[in-house]
Amino acid sequence: MKLRGPVILALMAPALALMAVLYVVPLGVYFINSFHEFRDGRILPAWTLQTYVRYFTDPFSYRVIGTSLRLSFVVTALAVLIGYPVAYALHTRVHRPAARAAIALLLFSPLLVSVVVRTYGWLILLASQGLVNTTLRGLGLIQEPISLLFNMRGVVISLTHILLPFAIFPIYSVMDRLDLSLKEAARDLGAGWRETFLHVTLPLTMPGIVAGALICFTLALSAFVTPQLLGGGRVQVLPLAVYNSTVEINWPGGAVAGLTLLVISIAAVWALNALLRRLPTV
Amino acid sequence: MSEHSVTRGHGADVEVRAVTKRFGPVAAVDDVSLTVRGGEFFSLLGPSGCGKTTTLRVIGGFERTDAGEVFIDGRPMGQTPPNRRPTNIVFQRLALFPHYTVYDNVAFGLRMQRLPDAEVRRRTRDALDLVQLPGLENRRISQLSGGQQQRVALARALVNEPRVLLLDEPLSALDLKLRLQMQEELKRLQHRLGTTFIYVTHDQGEALAMSDRVGVMNAGRLLQVGAPMEIYERPTNRFVANFIGDANLIDGIAGGVERGRVTVRVGGGVVGARARGDEHAGAPVTVCVRPERLRLHASGGPPGALRARIEDRAFSGYVIKYRLAGDGLRLHAAVPYVGGAPLFEVGDEVTVAWDPDQAVSVGRE
Repeated sequence: MKLRGPVILALMAPALALMAVLYVVPLGVYFINSFHEFRDGRILPAWTLQTYVRYFTDPFSYRVIGTSLRLSFVVTALAVLIGYPVAYALHTRVHRPAARAAIALLLFSPLLVSVVVRTYGWLILLASQGLVNTTLRGLGLIQEPISLLFNMRGVVISLTHILLPFAIFPIYSVMDRLDLSLKEAARDLGAGWRETFLHVTLPLTMPGIVAGALICFTLALSAFVTPQLLGGGRVQVLPLAVYNSTVEINWPGGAVAGLTLLVISIAAVWALNALLRRLPTV
Repeated sequence: MSEHSVTRGHGADVEVRAVTKRFGPVAAVDDVSLTVRGGEFFSLLGPSGCGKTTTLRVIGGFERTDAGEVFIDGRPMGQTPPNRRPTNIVFQRLALFPHYTVYDNVAFGLRMQRLPDAEVRRRTRDALDLVQLPGLENRRISQLSGGQQQRVALARALVNEPRVLLLDEPLSALDLKLRLQMQEELKRLQHRLGTTFIYVTHDQGEALAMSDRVGVMNAGRLLQVGAPMEIYERPTNRFVANFIGDANLIDGIAGGVERGRVTVRVGGGVVGARARGDEHAGAPVTVCVRPERLRLHASGGPPGALRARIEDRAFSGYVIKYRLAGDGLRLHAAVPYVGGAPLFEVGDEVTVAWDPDQAVSVGRE
């Protein structure tokens, strides 16, 4: 059955309405606010570029942007590096559908728990007297507890944990579509296990890696609760800056920081999509 | 023709000894033994799911066996992985690397051997010449036609100068005309290189036309091995008789066995066939006669001949096909068409006979 234009429009209407109300309108408000100035506890009605000028001449802004980018890069890299072997194991070693479903559920389980509960869980594990430090000391690997809380380390650990399934599943789905005889052909032509991986499996699953990285990067960039609760104020990222400005009623400042975040996200999506287009399709 | 570095090697002997391979409770390959001589073109023929591909994959090292052993040139292969066997395979789905050019696909095996660049270049070019694909080195696989992809897959395997080439229904994706052309080419290549070819197919025409010998498989078992004509002339069981060519399978009761011939009572008649050796008087037996071996007579005919009525007649160029029924039998006859000779009409009563040497008993399962 072929759907006609009006039918398609009707089917998409609820989603379009949501997008308009929750995304386009606030974005417009942001955009307008960014051209005003916040001074002496109130927003001045005059149109000006002053907020932009102040934001981009303040070294603190660049520190925040830098922290955000560093956090997103590190978390994305860790999620892909940890996630790829998991996807590979799932793909090569688990064949029964029931076992696959069970493992998928297990991998997604962090997302079934409220972000606040999950974060408090990490608080308990990562504290100086927490499970991680006690275990490491018990094993004699460290003398003094390492500080894993209220700094970048804790935020990285927790975010990587949350974002892992978003790395695993795009990689896994590309692997699953991979023609197994390609690997057999490489083996047949004299490639060992490692060469087969490097010359065939890895390049052909690159689209999955890029897709997973894209999701992880944008989610890490916009993460708020984890840096807020586990960063202890020492991990100043863009979403926190937007939040802080907004609660101070400094809407123009929040708007400029928010639009900066949006531009970085769009740039990342664009760059990774460009990369994806240059990759071979399986 | 230019001098090719893909030299005429000596194909290796391959022996499969009592191999069984199970997938769960199902034996995909069930106690199969066969010997392929060096330089032979050997086909494994059977319907889909008969175990022919699994047998090929066992020889290539892609499947572990549950029992039995594969020997190549007398050396037991054990669990030797595919990359350490003197074999190469052409997969049914070709499995060309989509992220590589034609050249890189063909050069892959040589690069894995870490050969010097100059040698890789020379041998890759020669292999592409051999399969008549020069000038396409820099194309991507997706830019090639099905026939060209087929040739790349062949070149990618042959460039390694394997002693045994395994082919898993490599032509099944091609249209008929191209398939016939590739069949001829494969046979010529095999003859020229002297490589042992083990060729898996479900197409009996393909197997009969190309092979030195054919092994017919069904339900995991190897039923009969022989030269194409031998299998056509002397099928040893009902399945092979039915699967290879067209066959009239006539059930009857064995009479006497004498000098390699068995007489068989069928309905109102008595017919003869070459004996398989295990017939005994009074036991049920099935006779296989090829349609072109039936002789139709307007009346009379030899004593004991079967009586039948022409049900249908079809003209197909050099042969006239008759469908007959009578004496509780349904038969197919194929009579060469020579212009002007009188034809039987639908409804004619005829007698059906054949030279007992042209029929064979296939026992009764």
